[in-house]
Amino acid sequence: MREDSKPSHWLTVALLAPTSMWFLFMLILPLIVILVFSFGERSAFGGYSGGFTLEQYANLPSRLKAFQNTMIIAPAGTLLSLVVAYPLAYFLAVRVSRQYKLILLVLVIVPFWTSLLVRTYAWIFILGGRGIPTLLEFIGIEGVRLINTQGAVLVGIVYGYLPLMVFPIFVSLEKLDKTLLEASSDLGGSPFKTFMQITLPLSMPGIATGSMLVFILLMGEFLIPAFLGGGKVFFIGNALVDLFLQSRNWPFGAAVSVTLVVIMLITVSLYMRMIMRSKTGRDESLM
Amino acid sequence: MRIYAIAVFLFLYVPIGIIVLFSFNAGRHASELRGLSVQWYGKALSNPFVGDAFVTSLIVALSVAILSSLMGTTAALALQRLKGTPRILFDGLIYISVMIPGIVIGIATLVALVTVFDFLNPLLASIWPEGVKPPKLHMGYASVIAAHTLFTMSLVIILVRARIAGMDRALIEASMDLYATPWRTFYQVTLPQIYPAILAGFLLSFTFSFDDFIISFFVAGANTTLPIYIFSSIRRGITPEVNAIGTMVLAVSLFLLMTAQFFLRARGNR
Repeated sequence: MREDSKPSHWLTVALLAPTSMWFLFMLILPLIVILVFSFGERSAFGGYSGGFTLEQYANLPSRLKAFQNTMIIAPAGTLLSLVVAYPLAYFLAVRVSRQYKLILLVLVIVPFWTSLLVRTYAWIFILGGRGIPTLLEFIGIEGVRLINTQGAVLVGIVYGYLPLMVFPIFVSLEKLDKTLLEASSDLGGSPFKTFMQITLPLSMPGIATGSMLVFILLMGEFLIPAFLGGGKVFFIGNALVDLFLQSRNWPFGAAVSVTLVVIMLITVSLYMRMIMRSKTGRDESLM
Repeated sequence: MRIYAIAVFLFLYVPIGIIVLFSFNAGRHASELRGLSVQWYGKALSNPFVGDAFVTSLIVALSVAILSSLMGTTAALALQRLKGTPRILFDGLIYISVMIPGIVIGIATLVALVTVFDFLNPLLASIWPEGVKPPKLHMGYASVIAAHTLFTMSLVIILVRARIAGMDRALIEASMDLYATPWRTFYQVTLPQIYPAILAGFLLSFTFSFDDFIISFFVAGANTTLPIYIFSSIRRGITPEVNAIGTMVLAVSLFLLMTAQFFLRARGNR
């Protein structure tokens, strides 16, 4: 290292000190504490008493339903969001004139930054007794129950996380070289073939990013199942709120959260590997 | 395709519209619209619990926004000079704190802080002078602010870093060549260029903190923020008053978002 860079080296350390403290005390340490707790035992008052036991992990099947629901509905919700988001992202990136593009994109993103709580409870209204079911009664369809079903939770998911899916796909489609599309159609490629062979593969990074963001957030979701699942469709997040704030079984709750994080890490790394592999595969085929 | 886009936009905005519409309901029941009135806004604003929750949310969000923009900006500037393993470590931590679900942050913070407080409180009591009531550490403002700041600080780092990457480095070199001190270069060249990103980061941090429910739910202790108040009210049943409060919450974040958007777009005019 050069002599004259010494002071600026200290400045770098000083500037990073508060942030490092935050990462240490608000992220790393708490995660370690949770890990330690998950191997402990529950004390008489519902707190933690030290020790090393796998009892909490052995107890995980008692919350199997929450894990099952999450592992089924989170991927399904991600896929559904993708299916709804893709055409919109495509429309915004390819079909809309430059002048309106930005404003329309902002209109998609804005809801994501407003209260998910308020937006989700709007659906209690819409799907609840006096919402859509009442409208259906007018046209003669009776006894439809929408709220507190898996379908309601899925609608809430798509509604809540659509902006997060649209944005990365839009970005990757926006970067797409439009002349490639023209070349393909000039060479007699059908619109479908052009889409399958050019547009879709080139927008893969956006699809991957969007799906991963939505999936990770869904794994920890609490509000949507709490409001629209009505105790029938519940996620790991709902089990965690119960374990930490109601039944106060902290060591078991810690084991559930550690398991959640581990499942998340495994799924995400598998997913990343899959994406990487399909990418290198394509690069080779191009050569 | 255009019809599809319109349908999706309706899907995104009709539920918000419904909340707003029903908040002006003159009737006493949430689900029956009986004429328009602003009476529920009056009810909500004169409800002392709503007032307290609003003030709590405001204090938390403002502290979070100030802390995040200060720490995020300094960190983003310093990270420019960092290389090798420390850089990778920092990037990893920034990435993790943005990606990790709020519920995990809430739980981990709750468990860690309660453990630390249970350890420190007897210690404080033992060293405190006789006759004076020793302070008792507990979950409250500080824990919510600290937990929110973990996410928002990383968000500011990402925003400011993107701005620095797009910055004209020639200007900084010119300033150095003209013998400006590093501080002066920062103040007169770097800061004016990155300030839209800092302001946008400030506003987004405020919005995130103001709207957050799940982290606050775990770590706010006895304090009630506005989202926690709305959540517990909904548990008791939806009333037009809740709709009025919800509409006000939406209005606050919409206003801040528009302002943030304005500052982020200032980039194009330079």
